[in-house]
Amino acid sequence: MAREIYAYRCRRCGTLHYPFRMVCKSCRENDMFEFDPEPLPKKGRLLTFTHVHALPADFDVPRLGLGIVELENGIRITGQLAVEDPMMGMEVTGEVKVVRHTGYEDRYGMVFS
Amino acid sequence: MVDTLSLTPAGAAVVENGPASGASAIKAGFAAVASGLHDVVLVTGAERMREVNNLEATDFVATLTHPLAEYIYGVTLPAHAAMFTRLYMERYGVTERHLAMVAVKNQNAAMRNEFAHLHQPITIEGILDSPEAATNNPYVAEPLRFFDACPVSDGGAALLLVSADVAKGIDRPPVRIAGVGQATDTHAVHERTEPTDLLAVRAAAAKSFAMAGLGPDDVDVAELHDAFTILEIVESEEVGFFAKGEGHLALEKGETALGGRIPINVGGGLKGRGHPVGATGVAQAHEIVTQLRGEAGERQVDGAKVGFTCNFGGFGNNVVCLTFVKEA
Ligand SMILES: [Zn+2]
Repeated sequence: MAREIYAYRCRRCGTLHYPFRMVCKSCRENDMFEFDPEPLPKKGRLLTFTHVHALPADFDVPRLGLGIVELENGIRITGQLAVEDPMMGMEVTGEVKVVRHTGYEDRYGMVFS
Repeated sequence: MVDTLSLTPAGAAVVENGPASGASAIKAGFAAVASGLHDVVLVTGAERMREVNNLEATDFVATLTHPLAEYIYGVTLPAHAAMFTRLYMERYGVTERHLAMVAVKNQNAAMRNEFAHLHQPITIEGILDSPEAATNNPYVAEPLRFFDACPVSDGGAALLLVSADVAKGIDRPPVRIAGVGQATDTHAVHERTEPTDLLAVRAAAAKSFAMAGLGPDDVDVAELHDAFTILEIVESEEVGFFAKGEGHLALEKGETALGGRIPINVGGGLKGRGHPVGATGVAQAHEIVTQLRGEAGERQVDGAKVGFTCNFGGFGNNVVCLTFVKEA
């Protein structure tokens, strides 16, 4: 089964949120967790990116690509970037993979290439 | 600490608000004095960050990022600053040279501050132009280099807030906190409508100026939160000193240096003074009070009467701005 990252649509006004929040940031009236989860699209455009050389704990790689992607539905997501030489605005496609292994558990997230 | 200083039975409380802890504590102390609840409040800020190695410190600070949408990917504060910088470069023409200019300005300003962490002058040649620059100043998170980030520091600062009545009996030139503004922004940076805006800085500054009955053009000396060189440029725009996208042009003209139109971080900023996280907001206020009292020695901004601080929490999701006025 393909793994997904979910966004949350407000049942009152239809605004889509990622990540999860308790109260809708548009109508601010949603106070009963009235959101419907829906999978985020995988295709988008690279808004900005970096390669991190001073890596945090749990990452045993020479450098780590990170980016913010504007997905087809207009929602933005931060994810890892597996592109050797990225360009601003380039088309990318995401896949849900293990992004961090903490020693206790695998954390899944979006990896764009 | 109250016990160590033999201040019992004075009341005591801890304010924890990430990198904006210092100014948040000043805000709490200000409210306590302004309301009449207390007439003397000692605000202290301190942090010991060098108990752990730099990577552990960076990872600890990275826990300020969104736990599910950012932290799991390995996003750190330098990574946020880097992605933000790239957008700023594309949109407004900021270059690595502008960033290096901030680093040189602030780290060299720290040479005139006995309390600064770094007393090591640098040049554009050494950190950008020379063949050794790539080794001296490697990328931390592209396009940000080592000298674009503040150091990991130990440090502390303290401020005594007193009521107007108590101030009359104190033989020191009084400085008034005239404006206090605080604002928040989304936790996940990618959710911000305009990714090059720092709306919490803009809103906190506007509130602080409105309360003081002053505007950005009235400010004689400012301490901005330059945890990364790009932040000094962008904050100088968001608080209203310069138009959006023109902070780097003002920097080029020397308007933000000592002797310029609006000197910024003449005590070295976080870049030169250091960034002991919980102490920074208090240290910024200390610098401004020193300036407004005319006690800043060779880094004195002549005739400074109005000062301003911006203390920036997370990646701009919680910001406190203070306006200070020298009392006649
Ligand atoms: Zn809604």
